[in-house]
Amino acid sequence: MRAYRSSNTKSGSTSFTARVAALSLGAAITAISGSAFAQTINVWSGYPEMAPFYEHVAEGLKEKYPDLTVNVEAIALREHEKRIALGLTSGSAGVTVIELAGSTASRYIENDLLPAAPEAVANFVTSSDNFGEFFVDAASKNGTVYGVPLFRGQGALFYNVDMFEAAGLKEPPQTMEAYTEYAEKLTQRDADGKATVSGWSLRLSGGGQGIAEKFWINLFQYGGSVIEEVSEGKWQANYANEAGRKALKQYLENVHVLKTVTPEMPADAEAFERGQTAMFIRESWVIADIAAKAPDLNYATAPLPVGSIALPANLYVNSVEGEDAEAAWAYVQAANDPENLVWLLDNIGWLPNRSGVDYGVVTEKVPAYGAFVDYPADYKFFTLPAIGPIEEVLTRLAAQLTNAYGDASLAEDDAAIDAVLAKAAEETNNILKREGLLAE
Amino acid sequence: MLQQKRWRFAILAILPTLAIFAWVRMYPIVETLRLSLHQWNILSKNKPFIGLANFRELFQDQLFLNALTNTSIIAFGVVILTVPTAMVIAGLIHHRTHSRFSGFYETSVFIPHVVSLVPAAMAWKWIFDAKLGPLNALLEFFGIPAQAWLFDPVLSVICIIVLCSWQALGYAVLIYLVGFKNLPVSLFEAAKLDGASGVQRFWHVSVPMLKPITLYVSVVTLISGFNVYAQAFVLASDSQGAPGRQVRVLVLDMLENSFRNYRVGYAASEAVVLLAIVLVLTLIQFGLLREKGRK
Amino acid sequence: MKTRGKLIDFAIDVFLFCFSILMILPLVFLVSNAFKTPEEIVAWPPRIIPSDPTLENFRSVLADTPLPLWIFNSVAFSTLSMVAIVMTSAIAGYVLAKFPFRSLNIIFILILATAIVPFEVYMIPLYFQAQALGVLNSLWGLLLGYLVMSFGIFLIRQNVMHSIPDELLEAARIDGAGEFWIFWRIVLPLLRGALGALAVLAFFQAWTSFAWPMIVTTTRNSYTIEVGLALFQTGFTVDLGRLSAASAAVLVPSITLFVILRRNFVQGVASTGMKE
Repeated sequence: MRAYRSSNTKSGSTSFTARVAALSLGAAITAISGSAFAQTINVWSGYPEMAPFYEHVAEGLKEKYPDLTVNVEAIALREHEKRIALGLTSGSAGVTVIELAGSTASRYIENDLLPAAPEAVANFVTSSDNFGEFFVDAASKNGTVYGVPLFRGQGALFYNVDMFEAAGLKEPPQTMEAYTEYAEKLTQRDADGKATVSGWSLRLSGGGQGIAEKFWINLFQYGGSVIEEVSEGKWQANYANEAGRKALKQYLENVHVLKTVTPEMPADAEAFERGQTAMFIRESWVIADIAAKAPDLNYATAPLPVGSIALPANLYVNSVEGEDAEAAWAYVQAANDPENLVWLLDNIGWLPNRSGVDYGVVTEKVPAYGAFVDYPADYKFFTLPAIGPIEEVLTRLAAQLTNAYGDASLAEDDAAIDAVLAKAAEETNNILKREGLLAE
Repeated sequence: MLQQKRWRFAILAILPTLAIFAWVRMYPIVETLRLSLHQWNILSKNKPFIGLANFRELFQDQLFLNALTNTSIIAFGVVILTVPTAMVIAGLIHHRTHSRFSGFYETSVFIPHVVSLVPAAMAWKWIFDAKLGPLNALLEFFGIPAQAWLFDPVLSVICIIVLCSWQALGYAVLIYLVGFKNLPVSLFEAAKLDGASGVQRFWHVSVPMLKPITLYVSVVTLISGFNVYAQAFVLASDSQGAPGRQVRVLVLDMLENSFRNYRVGYAASEAVVLLAIVLVLTLIQFGLLREKGRK
Repeated sequence: MKTRGKLIDFAIDVFLFCFSILMILPLVFLVSNAFKTPEEIVAWPPRIIPSDPTLENFRSVLADTPLPLWIFNSVAFSTLSMVAIVMTSAIAGYVLAKFPFRSLNIIFILILATAIVPFEVYMIPLYFQAQALGVLNSLWGLLLGYLVMSFGIFLIRQNVMHSIPDELLEAARIDGAGEFWIFWRIVLPLLRGALGALAVLAFFQAWTSFAWPMIVTTTRNSYTIEVGLALFQTGFTVDLGRLSAASAAVLVPSITLFVILRRNFVQGVASTGMKE
């Protein structure tokens, strides 16, 4: 595994054909509705920092749709999901482009609340020049394309190069065991031995499923998962096992035994930008965030030991009929224009999913992106399962985990850890059972 | 004839209010009861009647039980902290009614009750902050080690109790002040002649005489304690830097089940439990008051 | 004896003074943080008076958020709610107090019975009513939850019973006054004090509401100030200074308003304690 400290060379091949194909397709769609009167479409996003991107796309569409008004509404993810649920069920939303994770979209599709994509769009998505299979699957259900892939949340390690050097560490950790060793060496303490700068920032508190998602990323490195599909459409908790024990124990060891991090220490991107933590695992948007808020920070990124979460966000439209809907699908298409995607990576930092686009302009300028786009061949990915109660599963697991993280007595007691995990897994399985999704 | 004309006016006058009332109050209450007996999911078209199954599930649901415990602890904690403090403070303010500062006392004790919840909670979030907050600065000044106020499972509940009490105190003080003003002066004169000190008068005359008010204030505070939500939301909100520990309270669990897990029927059954608690508390209040009246 | 009494009074004054300061201290901190630079906010130990006061926080908050719009939403919502509650309470309270018909008694019992049901219990079905009406994310949706106030009806009814003698109404009727005229010209003016208290109460009730606006509004432009502030920090990293600036910008006017209206308010709140 490499560290992406210095700029690494990358092949700069642009798929010219893909670009032409996209452009001509966009033109074909606009041709149908070119003569529209004043039109309005909404764009709903669950990431406030994505708003400038959607505005940028709208700006580019002005030429073809001079009368089109695009209302971009980018709000916090939880609120976003709520408005989708309520807007779609009541049909009160108007023509809206909806940015949504494939896993969340599936339940709307199951209930006929999101229409399949028009044929031209579907062809664009399924063309292997444009998207890898993983992304096509995430935007489809039972072989029908419903959405268009846009970007993904993918994790990597962010580390503070100065702190690494001060601790005598030359390269990023390669195994999960090494993460703990590193954390211990990197923690800075005051005279009383209390941590002042955490060695490895872990998500230990807060509301909702974030805690469980972060846990899943670590769990994945040990070969576990929160739930696993056992047979077609049937699932089971998969963390009351050795992988689960190792992952949870690592948290506990760091918090209670080695005390490399505590729940109340500043955490996450903000702490990293202020030099209050030496390393943490996060998605690529942090790169753009650092560029904006702490441009002088000397940091680097590295792939995780085994693999990463990849949460693809797709664009859907709640309608396929009428001129507004056509404009909306044209918008979705335009969002995937190479020029816009490069702009997205450069300015927002979320990773575009479309292949065959030359992102080199950005990745060469900012080597930190290397860990996200240039990973080892055997690097594995996982995503949140596309089942209805996934959020409930994660929220409830998060509550159990928060309690466990706070329990110092668990730290050196494997049997107690197993008991905690067994109890949590039982709860997970009960939810699956209630929804008829449990593999017996 | 005249009666009839008057009756007609009365009905016509009250009809609009009544209609609004039925529409935004009675109907949703009945609807809550109805939904609680259904498996009512926002997304699914099929919403079958399932009897009491929601309630059966509730009482095995760790998160709900956790929320119920937290909420009860918070509600009773707020009462225990607020009511005695309010009585003493009101007594003192009443005693100093003629002080030129009495207006200032009254106003500043009452302000927390009227300021918007969210900004106030934010102020407290900073006060409790483990790294930057003045509370830990104060503790360290006295040589007490800093605490992780918003992260410790016990302390985070205490934080909410303190915040809620701070807000509830003003109201309680105000009600007590009215109570003190309505106490018969003659009783105090008599006690004074008997040589009772100020503290004795407070303890032996005011406290028993104010019992109905104490009861009222306690129940009102308790009920509003059971509806706690914004405080828990803000103290643990998801800001990236340092989210606090999420203290799960009833209303939060209810909203999460309803708008996050889309299980509206299930959330409605939680609402019914909340309603039952409030009803019981109110009945106890009425019962105690009536008992007092009989004596 | 007398000097001792004075000494005790002085001690009580000192205690009350300190206690009062303690009660408003959190708000003082908040306002002070609003003027601190990012460096000073993280400075340890925290200071009450900023050494290098700045308006930068206010400037960036106004640039990043539609704060004035949120304040407008809150003011409009609170005012409309106040008007609706005062109107419905005045009419219903008067009718229920002075028209002794059995049918009205039933209505009164119904209103009284629902008065104890907390809003949180029925807000979810109410939400779906708002959704069906298509008034989510609007002032009307917010208003839906705050059109009537059981306690307001009750308060006015008590007031009418105590302060408006039947003879006065009868005299007016004998003079040939219509029922509406009586209500408008005789009853309402006599209720001015009580209605004023109720108005202030209703306004602040809506102003400080949180759970309902939180579920009804999901667009940035429809937030009330409470929701806007609460969600302000759930987005990405927001520093405390800006958060405090936004909060202070809301607190200061509402506290001022309260201090001006204190007498009405105290009267209103005090009367809530009198229902037995």
